[in-house]
Amino acid sequence: MKKLGLIFIFSLLFSVVYSQKKDCSLDCSCSFDGVITDAQTGEPLAYASVQVKGTEKGALTNEKGYFILEKLCSQEFDILVSYVGYKSVVHHHDLFHKHMNVQLAEDDMILESVVVEGDKQQSGLSTAAENKISKQELDLVKNESLGDVLTNITGVSTMKTGANIVKPVIHGLYGNRILIINNGIRHEGQTWGSDHAPEIDVSQADNVTVVKGASAVKYGPDAMGGVVILNPPKMELLTGHLHGEAGVEAGSNGRSLNGNLLLQEGYKKWAWMAQLSGRQQGDMKTPDYYLTNTGARELSYMAGTRYHHKNIDLQLSYSHIGQELGVLRGSVVGSLEDLALAMQSEKPAYTNSDFSYDINNPRQEVQHDVVTAKGEYNFSNSMLKFEYGFQANRRKEFDVRRSNNNELPSIDLELFTHTLDLEWLHPEINGWDGSIGGQWLYQDNNNVPGTNTVQFVPNYNNSRFGLYITESKPLDHFTLEVGVRYDYQQANVRGRENDNGIYRQDLTYNSVTGLIGISKELGQYGHFRTSIGSAWRPPNVAELYSYGKHENEVEYGFWRWEIKSAGAVGSSRDVADQDSKPIDNETSFKWLATYNYKTSKHDLEITPYVNYMGNYIYTRPGGIVSTVRGPFPYFLYDQTNALFYGLDASYIHHHNKTFSSQVRGSYLYVKDVSSDAYFVGITSNKVGYKLNFEKSILGFDNVNASIEGNYIFKQYNAPKVISPTEIIEGEEAGTPVIENSNDRFDFAPAPDGYFLLDAQVNVTMGKLILGLRGKNLLNTSYRDYTNSMRYYADEPGLNVLFSAKYKF
Amino acid sequence: MKVLRITIPVLLLFTVLFTSCSDDDVPEAENEEEVINQITLTFTPSEGTEVVTATYYDPDGEGTEKPTQDDIVLKANTEYTLTMSLKNTVGDENEDITEEIKEESDAHMFFFGFTEGLFSDPQGTGNIGAGNRDDKDINYEDKDVNSLPLGLTTTWTTAEAKSGNFRIILKHQPNLKSESTTTEDGQSDVDLNWKIEIK
Repeated sequence: MKKLGLIFIFSLLFSVVYSQKKDCSLDCSCSFDGVITDAQTGEPLAYASVQVKGTEKGALTNEKGYFILEKLCSQEFDILVSYVGYKSVVHHHDLFHKHMNVQLAEDDMILESVVVEGDKQQSGLSTAAENKISKQELDLVKNESLGDVLTNITGVSTMKTGANIVKPVIHGLYGNRILIINNGIRHEGQTWGSDHAPEIDVSQADNVTVVKGASAVKYGPDAMGGVVILNPPKMELLTGHLHGEAGVEAGSNGRSLNGNLLLQEGYKKWAWMAQLSGRQQGDMKTPDYYLTNTGARELSYMAGTRYHHKNIDLQLSYSHIGQELGVLRGSVVGSLEDLALAMQSEKPAYTNSDFSYDINNPRQEVQHDVVTAKGEYNFSNSMLKFEYGFQANRRKEFDVRRSNNNELPSIDLELFTHTLDLEWLHPEINGWDGSIGGQWLYQDNNNVPGTNTVQFVPNYNNSRFGLYITESKPLDHFTLEVGVRYDYQQANVRGRENDNGIYRQDLTYNSVTGLIGISKELGQYGHFRTSIGSAWRPPNVAELYSYGKHENEVEYGFWRWEIKSAGAVGSSRDVADQDSKPIDNETSFKWLATYNYKTSKHDLEITPYVNYMGNYIYTRPGGIVSTVRGPFPYFLYDQTNALFYGLDASYIHHHNKTFSSQVRGSYLYVKDVSSDAYFVGITSNKVGYKLNFEKSILGFDNVNASIEGNYIFKQYNAPKVISPTEIIEGEEAGTPVIENSNDRFDFAPAPDGYFLLDAQVNVTMGKLILGLRGKNLLNTSYRDYTNSMRYYADEPGLNVLFSAKYKF
Repeated sequence: MKVLRITIPVLLLFTVLFTSCSDDDVPEAENEEEVINQITLTFTPSEGTEVVTATYYDPDGEGTEKPTQDDIVLKANTEYTLTMSLKNTVGDENEDITEEIKEESDAHMFFFGFTEGLFSDPQGTGNIGAGNRDDKDINYEDKDVNSLPLGLTTTWTTAEAKSGNFRIILKHQPNLKSESTTTEDGQSDVDLNWKIEIK
């Protein structure tokens, strides 16, 4: 494989060298064009001015907001875009981005004027459906977890372990089935755990995009449900002076305090940025009681620098995030009887009557450090990109244990990941536009000794190599896009069995991924995109090697159980392997279409999708095991075929310049098609309405206010319920209620539907923005189906947050 | 093409880096201190030498193999001292959990439940269940650092011949154990039901 990789690099480099570079310094033949629009309404601005700095050249836009600059003698220059009553913007332009869209914000708006280069989407795929959370929207919620922030996008929900540990869910899939690209790098952590949230601080991001459509061709394994792309603040050149933002936010629930500081400055050829943020939060509170031990502490920082010279753009950055997260004390149970008691009691055990900032066991300590080096080399008609990332992920989990072991983590893991991505956006060939790329990944996962318990997951080293090509071509009636990718992965695994015996395995995986899609303009305002694509992922270490009790369940990984006599199953003493018990890659075929209709008055988006998951890995009941703590149901990792389909819809109506309404909803249906059964923990359906107000009133520069109501439905498509008490009684009577079967069950029924009301108001006074927002304004008591704490406690009640931000 | 002169060595360096650093370390062996797979009850009569032992043994600990459990057979009208030993003996392990419980006696307590009429002292059905905590119900012979009962050592006087059930629950009650905590507080580390016969 090494050879193949080198050949690939060289062929890529040679093709770059020989591709012709356009030089217009002699004949002044360079030109570029663009459109200038109002950042808020999207309407074109006529007679706006575009000036090339340091020259006499300039242009005005026509009625459609269009301008063209011709007879330019340089490939790169700085331009100044200005319009009376709007914020001016200076931009460093290169000719690789042929078509630019300048979105100007009015002087009295919170919005900043921005330049959007090229019509390419964030993913680089023209037919994949994408939704973006802009900086303005992000600013309101940037102190929340990534999962919670993403719920602002229709079709994205969360998988939680309490209020602080939040995993994003896209179209019903999470963890290893979605991919997070942070600052250009695949985020790699211990994603196998449903209680392992991505180690990402949203306040380090400037904007977030969710790619819902098939995009695994571009991103490789894991991109089955979708891809989350986070971009840090862009390091602009020629900022003129030091720019920055300083903000604080204080919340009533959990008595939280957040602080953020961002500084950046750009000069002629280089720029830098630095960011710091911190968070302290104590026990959250439901309407009726404190959630003892649900505090959180977080510190993150980031620094970056950018160098730009002619065709070269280089960026180097370092970021750190450190978190300490408490888990509800009352969620710790020893036996089924304990679980039955915890589920029956009104408030969880160990609930303190007082608030506290203390974080005791169970808790998690996570550190994530990333170094990235990125570079771009611009040719006039093509571009070469490279991205290298090194990530160190350290995770310690502390459980409630006996004596001195309380100070020792029961899970202590270090994961180091190197990634290298190369991409060549080639010149147009016969109308085909696209890119060719290669990706390497190398991982080293180690258990840190000293946990006094046998390791939950093994040590492993993992190398992966992928090659892809994606191409699109405008045809008569639509744009066609096709892509293909090949990945090869090799892993070497070393672990300990429960009696401390050693197992070693070499695992190889490979897969071909494909994509075909079309994109089409429908009339003046409509846009239609549809694509069908495949994706895959190899089974993760927990799915293969789990053994024994984890939280309140006993689980056996795919290679840790076997069929005994007479159809009975049980844990196996020896670890199976690919020869004795073959396991296939999990695969996904996702079809998605999105229709967008956008005018100055209406903004409609409808996205239906179908995802067929082959060899879908899940857990099913295996039977009941007798333990020293009494009987326990045990679960087996197994494979089946599952069908996911759903619909996301959103409609925004601008009543006038001041008021707008948004209605949105998401629907998802999931079924095991092999055994005609439902899965536990599938996202509930949701509808919401939001009324937004924005105007300059009461002498303030701007007042933005909104009120939003969301109703989350009960999940009716859930497996049957077998309560812990029924299991215990069945065991005592000698009639087991759980057997080896595909008949899934849940310990408790899905919680009822609930309605949540949120509101916020932001007031801008010059450079200062003051904000007030309220979450769960009606102080509703509720439990959420996809929060594993639903067996034990209610969700947090009313939270009033005050924020102040100063921009300079 | 200055860039390329730099890029190629850098790329080569990465290729070497990615393929060369594959270590082969196995996770270090850990003393498994979470699992309890063997519990031995020792009934020593106050007179005579006929010590009775009954053992619960789960060969594969966290696995699904069925455990073995001896029945308890005691003589009628006899006073016994019951001591317990808890261990992890999965594979080559030989970890004594009893010591850990002693070390953290202020966070642990044994509770007992039994068929009425098996014992003349204590009488009743034991102290398992909500609101069922009366330390006079069980003859605790050991105390924790706060002078609260622990239960690794208890005394029992059998009544006339009878058979029934004998249940032992070990509760882990960190920062919780008090004069009034019951089996409804804390987590169960052990919850076993034994068959008992008084001859």
